Amino acid sequence: MSRAHLSFILNAHLPFVRHPEYPRFLEEDWLFESISESYLPLLRMCNRLADDKVPYTFTVSLSPSLCTMLADPILAERYTQYLERHIELGEKEVARCKIEQPAFSDMAAFYLEAARTNFTDFVEHYKSNILEGFKDLEERGYLELVTTAATHAFLPLYKEYPSAINAQVEIGVQSFLTTFGHLPKGFWLPECGYYPGLEEVLRSHGISWFQTASQAMLLSPDKVANGVYRPVHCPNGVAAFPRDFNGTSLVWSNESGYPTDKIYREFYRDIGYDLPLGYIGPYIHEPQVRVFTGFKYWAITGKTDQKVPYDRIRAKKRTVEHARNFIYTLQKRADSLGPKLEEEPLFTLAFDAELFGHWWFEGVQWLEEVIRLIAAGDKGLAMTTPSRFLEREGERLQQVQPSFSSWGHGGYNAVWLDGANSWSYRHIHKAIERMEELASRFGDQMSLKQRFLNQAAREVLLAMASDWPFMMYNKSSAEYATKRVNDHLSNFNVVYSNMCKNAVNTEWLVKAEKRNTIFADIDYNIFNPER
Amino acid sequence: MILINIDSLSTVELQHIAEQEGVDAWQDMDREELIDALEDAFGEQDDEPAQTIKGKINRNRYCNSLTSYRGKAYQVNGLPGTESLPECYHDTSIHLLLRDPQWAFAYWSLSHQVLEECVDEDGNELGRFFLRVSQCSSGASEVSSYDIDIDISDRQWNINLPEMGYCYHVDLCWRDRRGEEQSLAQSNTVEIAAPYWKHATEPFDGSLDQFCTHFSSLVTREGEIVDNAILRDVAHTLSKGVL
Repeated sequence: MSRAHLSFILNAHLPFVRHPEYPRFLEEDWLFESISESYLPLLRMCNRLADDKVPYTFTVSLSPSLCTMLADPILAERYTQYLERHIELGEKEVARCKIEQPAFSDMAAFYLEAARTNFTDFVEHYKSNILEGFKDLEERGYLELVTTAATHAFLPLYKEYPSAINAQVEIGVQSFLTTFGHLPKGFWLPECGYYPGLEEVLRSHGISWFQTASQAMLLSPDKVANGVYRPVHCPNGVAAFPRDFNGTSLVWSNESGYPTDKIYREFYRDIGYDLPLGYIGPYIHEPQVRVFTGFKYWAITGKTDQKVPYDRIRAKKRTVEHARNFIYTLQKRADSLGPKLEEEPLFTLAFDAELFGHWWFEGVQWLEEVIRLIAAGDKGLAMTTPSRFLEREGERLQQVQPSFSSWGHGGYNAVWLDGANSWSYRHIHKAIERMEELASRFGDQMSLKQRFLNQAAREVLLAMASDWPFMMYNKSSAEYATKRVNDHLSNFNVVYSNMCKNAVNTEWLVKAEKRNTIFADIDYNIFNPER
Repeated sequence: MILINIDSLSTVELQHIAEQEGVDAWQDMDREELIDALEDAFGEQDDEPAQTIKGKINRNRYCNSLTSYRGKAYQVNGLPGTESLPECYHDTSIHLLLRDPQWAFAYWSLSHQVLEECVDEDGNELGRFFLRVSQCSSGASEVSSYDIDIDISDRQWNINLPEMGYCYHVDLCWRDRRGEEQSLAQSNTVEIAAPYWKHATEPFDGSLDQFCTHFSSLVTREGEIVDNAILRDVAHTLSKGVL
């Protein structure tokens, strides 16, 4: 049996959404759902494995925008209220299902218990900041935490603006240092977006490795020896870890991935849409905007509206089968690759963290089962992280120039540069040029001007987030995404036009600082191209 | 320096700024006195470089904290002073963004001066705008080019890139009625490196093992190749039509 290494990388990221100007804001639910359904369950899984003395390790990228939101007291308080509403709804659902829909009673009780557990963990255990949970697991050697671009910008579309690329990387690294107390070794390339030369910026900030899309290897101008089964060194020495498309597609494929199994829970059927407004009204958004509540009772069943009730016991058994299938598939490939490769293969399996628990309800159970099977030790697979792998085998990597690539549709930039979103680049690029101009003309300002310029830099960075063009492309929350890009750029223009006439709009500044409270320690001089 | 709407700030915020600016006895001032003092302070600053007051404040990179002077109950109903984005900007420039190895996206803008010069008093065009797409080798020598006619109202275009292994740039050009051409602006250059396997004369050295090493990772268990047109071409060629 051949030995192979397996490296899970989970990218935890959400765009910066924080609207204290509204009593409740619909898009803030993205964060609350992710905490409830993915981040807290993943932390519980990690701690359960640790308590059971299961050896494991994997990588988690926590984006600066997510970290900012997770550490924000206002959002923490709102999340607590969100949990309280869920507990209240859970109690009502347990009573309602007992009488009206007994087939759902088990799940209603499960959701109530999950909401109570989340409340206890969040408020009492983590003191309203779950970043401490990730930090603790890293300190105990279970996780490797890494950073990503400041606002998760899709970097290839800003290649012509080195100051903006540098700002995204430098602020990503510095935010990580502020949050976790040390510099990151790895850098999650947003959307696996890579262009040759990006590694120079990464190296200048002390980054040792990043992940790429699978095709970055086979489409390289160099002859790659080991496909995606070994990381490579870029010409400047930074390591690139290509994603194993075959392994990730077992999970991620919309057509045939494990989460599409008909026994698993249906994501899109939620009581927020199914129950009468008179009942569900207090738990959705005003005025009567139906949203997901997280209370979902149906199984996928098939491509039909006639769903069958979800059976948690059957689904759990299926996650075990899928975990075994996953391990079996990787092991077979490792055996097949053994004679062909000169070195032990590494499977790099990169996913969005929110896939586990939020999108794929059973995903955390599956991941835990995979980890326990690997730890059982008889499969020839060993978990590792990129940094550990480099420590062990960094001397024996081939030097290769990865090719321009991303993990989006088509493998390049098409998702983020599409008919629906291409309009934005004219304005964002202009804002970057003007931000460079401001940083050059008004370097090292103090007090109000400094704050004014710092806020301008924040607005430019927020406009660059990859989430906005993706939402426009995907036609999901596209209006909100368009508004956000427009708002950030309009905000930037306030600074530009005022600075050009030697003025500071103090009213705007105070309100903008209050609204977009991200990167507290930013220094706008970072945009000075002469730096 | 002009301070716009400084009277909209809270007294605590005014005190904070006054403290930052080194205003004497700011603790003893009422609201109006603080505003007067700050206007005086910032008025004086116009004539002196920022460096002269640098020593007053301990300024460290990444250490400029936001103020926290208002309670969280405060609600903002839209930021003041913002305006809608313009449709385009009034400089003459063209930018090229790589979409994939076969397509790029160009956007451009034209200055008022250029727009005035290219039409007569009645608004009739005195010539035509066009894009010239140039394909260059890595040594920057031009290999070939082609033109795309555009309308005076056009501001963006998808550009076909005929071949991998070359650099491309686009000129925004004007041709007058006499046929004389002029480049008004040139874009940045985008480079498309050709994959090694695209032109390899001995694919995978004839080794099936090596072929599997590369392609086993790029195919789903249902036999679907990763979503990438170039890769599919390469796979098709190297597998002699099997994939």
